[in-house]
Amino acid sequence: MTARMNPLAKAQKALEPMLALEAYFKTCSLEPSLMHLVKIRASQINGCAYCLHMHTLEARKDGEGEARIYLLDAWRESGLYTPRERAALTWTETLTEVSTTHAPDADYEAAVAQFGEQEMIDLTLVITNINAWNRICVGFRAHHPNDVMRKAA
Amino acid sequence: MTQRLNVFAVAPKALEPLQQVAINLEAVGLETRLTELVKIRASQINGCANCLHMHTADARKAGESEERIYLLDAWRESSMYTPRERAALAWTEALTKISETHAPDADYEALAAQFSEVEIVHLTILVGAINVWNRIAIGLRFQNPSDRRLAAAA
Repeated sequence: MTARMNPLAKAQKALEPMLALEAYFKTCSLEPSLMHLVKIRASQINGCAYCLHMHTLEARKDGEGEARIYLLDAWRESGLYTPRERAALTWTETLTEVSTTHAPDADYEAAVAQFGEQEMIDLTLVITNINAWNRICVGFRAHHPNDVMRKAA
Repeated sequence: MTQRLNVFAVAPKALEPLQQVAINLEAVGLETRLTELVKIRASQINGCANCLHMHTADARKAGESEERIYLLDAWRESSMYTPRERAALAWTEALTKISETHAPDADYEALAAQFSEVEIVHLTILVGAINVWNRIAIGLRFQNPSDRRLAAAA
């Protein structure tokens, strides 16, 4: 696990629109707790340690419980998530694995019924942006903070 | 999310051999934190809420950090896991998705470099056993303790 390069240091301008989107998300009506779950779920699927580190930390700071993060891979099998969160998580998985799901109508309709059009657009952009971040961080082997091997006990 | 049937009430004897796997494993002395990571990773892949609930709680009790559980989906991209843990996690993934991976030589060789033959046998049986538990728990819609509390409150 050696970092390849730091894209933020090399080409900050190129990443500014993505950062601007993140700033916009802070002003939109989607609950931060829901956006954290969406970002964590996409990062689980894409295997992005950098983004998992960042967004689990943010979720915990905003009051999310440990169990709801630990069980997130298996949210379909748990009653810990609200219908609104379940619709958002379904849409997250659909768009993250779009090459196999092709975004089916049933998932879209379930999501739009919970969110309405404006929030559906915001949610979709949250999902697409975290997917972009995941690809950049995994592609460049970004090191998350505290990325040190635990000494063998 | 309604439980389909209670396997422990219907056929407790049928599960005893599976419970014996955990007892046998203890005698081999594989590190608890390693075996919990293996069980959590398989349960993540299979999407088993019941097993994630149980084994993340067990891992935390054994001194595991929140961070190493949160990042486990992405262990390949993090240096927080030891070479021994990485070999075990690669083997866990290879066997859990065996219909796609067919257990490649490279994964086995990495494992053999880190574990004794006896340990490899027990680790392999452990991966098999958690995959069995995942399938029983998902197939019969086990409710984890948090879910039972929610159902009672509703």
